[in-house]
Amino acid sequence: MNTTIQNILVLITLGLALAFLVKKFFWKKSAPKKSCGGDDGCGCH
Amino acid sequence: MSKQINVALIGNPNTGKTSVFNALTGLNQKVGNYPGITVEKKQGVCKLPRGVKAHIIDLPGTYSLNASSLDENVVIELLLNKNDKDFPDIAVVVSDVENLKRNLLLFTQIKDLEIPTILVINMADRMRYKGISLDIEYLEEHLQTKIALISTRKNEGIDELKQLISNYKVVSVTPCLNPSNIDKTYFESLEKAFPNQSLYKLWLVITQDVNFGKTDRNEVQAIASFKTKSKADLKRLQQKETIKRYQFINNVLKKGQTIDRSQAKDLRSKLDRVLTHKIFGYLIFFIILLTIFQAIYDWAQIPMEFIDGAFASLGELTKNTLPEGAFTNLIAEGIIPGLGGIVIFIPQIAFLFLFIAVLEESGYMSRVVFLMDRVMRRFGLSGKSVVPLISGTACAIPAIMATRNIESWKERLITILVTPFTTCSARLPVYLIIIELVIPEGRFLGLGYQPLTLMLLYLIGFGTSVFSAWILNKVLKIRSKTFFVVEMPNYKLPLFKNVGLTVLEKTKSFVFGAGKIILAISIVLWFLASYGPGENFNNAENIVKTEFASQNLSQGELQQKIASHKLEHSFIGITGRAIEPAIRPLGYDWKIGIALISSFAAREVFVGTLATIYSVEDDDVDTITNRMAKDTNRITGGKLFTLASGISLLLFYAFAMQCMSTLAIVKKETNTWKWPVLQLIIMTAFAYIVALIAFQFLK
Repeated sequence: MNTTIQNILVLITLGLALAFLVKKFFWKKSAPKKSCGGDDGCGCH
Repeated sequence: MSKQINVALIGNPNTGKTSVFNALTGLNQKVGNYPGITVEKKQGVCKLPRGVKAHIIDLPGTYSLNASSLDENVVIELLLNKNDKDFPDIAVVVSDVENLKRNLLLFTQIKDLEIPTILVINMADRMRYKGISLDIEYLEEHLQTKIALISTRKNEGIDELKQLISNYKVVSVTPCLNPSNIDKTYFESLEKAFPNQSLYKLWLVITQDVNFGKTDRNEVQAIASFKTKSKADLKRLQQKETIKRYQFINNVLKKGQTIDRSQAKDLRSKLDRVLTHKIFGYLIFFIILLTIFQAIYDWAQIPMEFIDGAFASLGELTKNTLPEGAFTNLIAEGIIPGLGGIVIFIPQIAFLFLFIAVLEESGYMSRVVFLMDRVMRRFGLSGKSVVPLISGTACAIPAIMATRNIESWKERLITILVTPFTTCSARLPVYLIIIELVIPEGRFLGLGYQPLTLMLLYLIGFGTSVFSAWILNKVLKIRSKTFFVVEMPNYKLPLFKNVGLTVLEKTKSFVFGAGKIILAISIVLWFLASYGPGENFNNAENIVKTEFASQNLSQGELQQKIASHKLEHSFIGITGRAIEPAIRPLGYDWKIGIALISSFAAREVFVGTLATIYSVEDDDVDTITNRMAKDTNRITGGKLFTLASGISLLLFYAFAMQCMSTLAIVKKETNTWKWPVLQLIIMTAFAYIVALIAFQFLK
């Protein structure tokens, strides 16, 4: 029982670590939406 | 009845403007606030020759008419609003003789508003200490103004100033800069839309976000035939305006002002003469560098030993306290050693940043930039490249971003391409651990071999970036030129608070920035090192027992053999051994190979990776350095970390582009993958060749 819980915890930790690394190095952040309220050269006029 | 005129005292902060105000008004002054805001309004009365009375306003200090604060808004609002009861009949711009060039920017802006403007050059008593001489007649002619050379400290020139103010009607109102020189088309269209208005005044109305009373930006934009530019374009024009103004100021000062530093007698000038001397300057800088690197080693030794021991004990404590199992092993063998590998370098990194902060705060760093500029020019780089190259000692990413102020694309590109050679703080843990393993602790002329090696690595990094810049300058066929201006701040004693905050902030960003990546990679590495496919891994115990049955190994030795066998056949071991043939000629084994690959995420991961791998392999309580020192090369049977393999590894890290984030920022700044890919290939190939030669020669 104890071994199973420990193995589950290892897998969860591994999953979190992999998710963090993928997010850090491969996840492309979407560009923030620019306001179209003024003449800020955002190209939407 | 005597006539009263309005006089506005304007100037950059710290020019002695308030002293001029006090000298003119004496006790006839009062202090209040501008309506609705908390900006102090100082005004007073002064009696001038010929019975003229002056109402003097001491306006808040401002560097230019491009307002960025409430104080500065007050100045612009008054100067643009003729209906204001305080609108000046004459503006008196107070400047400081030591910073005349910078102060004249504001002067030319105010003069272009077509207000009679007098230039006061304060602190004239400092001229002979500073070796400064001024041709007042020439300056008056070319700036088209009247100049009062005064010293409020010695109470000299105040009567002459009063005389000039009282003659305000004869002061020229001719502008210094024709706005059409900034952008002909734009200003012609502006003039067409508003034929009877001052062009510069309109320009300020458009660009400044302040309340202009009767003339506001809506009125400007209301004219259908007039098309305003985007904010970005307006900013560009503002920058162009500043450049044009400085070109005008430079031309005037070229003949109107002479600065002979050799005649200067003040302490700052004396220090500058030595610290920026073409021989002693470099010698002193070299001695300072030596002292810093020696101190990094000597001072950090005790806290480092403490941290190393503490993490080893923490790992053991975790293993003994928590219930046995995979998760406990992950914490004790993966996470704790991985983190320990980075925390151990906090003392040395903190000391390095402490010294850098002290050099910056004291004003010495600007002298270093000036010194380096002389060297850089010989290699085809602008002095502006010095700042990114020096800031690259912290991290290449902000350094590459700092190249944005280099106007010439060629110089900017070269600086971007060579900056990663500068020794960044992420290389420091790698250098420190390898130096400790392979360089003896002895001393030469009182200087330790280890700090000398570290300093040599920094010099190699800087030398390579300058040398590569020279090659790139010859290879890249782009013609362009930029200018370099650096302001030398006064020398001062560093403030403890400022230095402390810099050290704290830099160390924090080093630990937490890299720490999260190291923690995640340590977890993945531990998993890959603790599990493996096939019989060789799963049946390791039986295989080892059978293999060593004839030898009388102790229980401890047998366990060690089993752990090594398992590690070699784990996922990480299989991957490492697959790449081993490529790195064997450099003197590395598969463990170093894994560390090289994982440290591509961030160089400092190298130490964390080795710490995790050794921890999985070896159950004994020991420090990372001792574990690495004990390791043997499974092919040669000798020690893994020898002088040859250590130097090879140091040189590999000095030249290789081992940083994903740097590649990403180079792509972002050059807007193409061409340059980062070329950078990666060339730097890695160069690092490989140099490391190979070093190992083959030294082995």
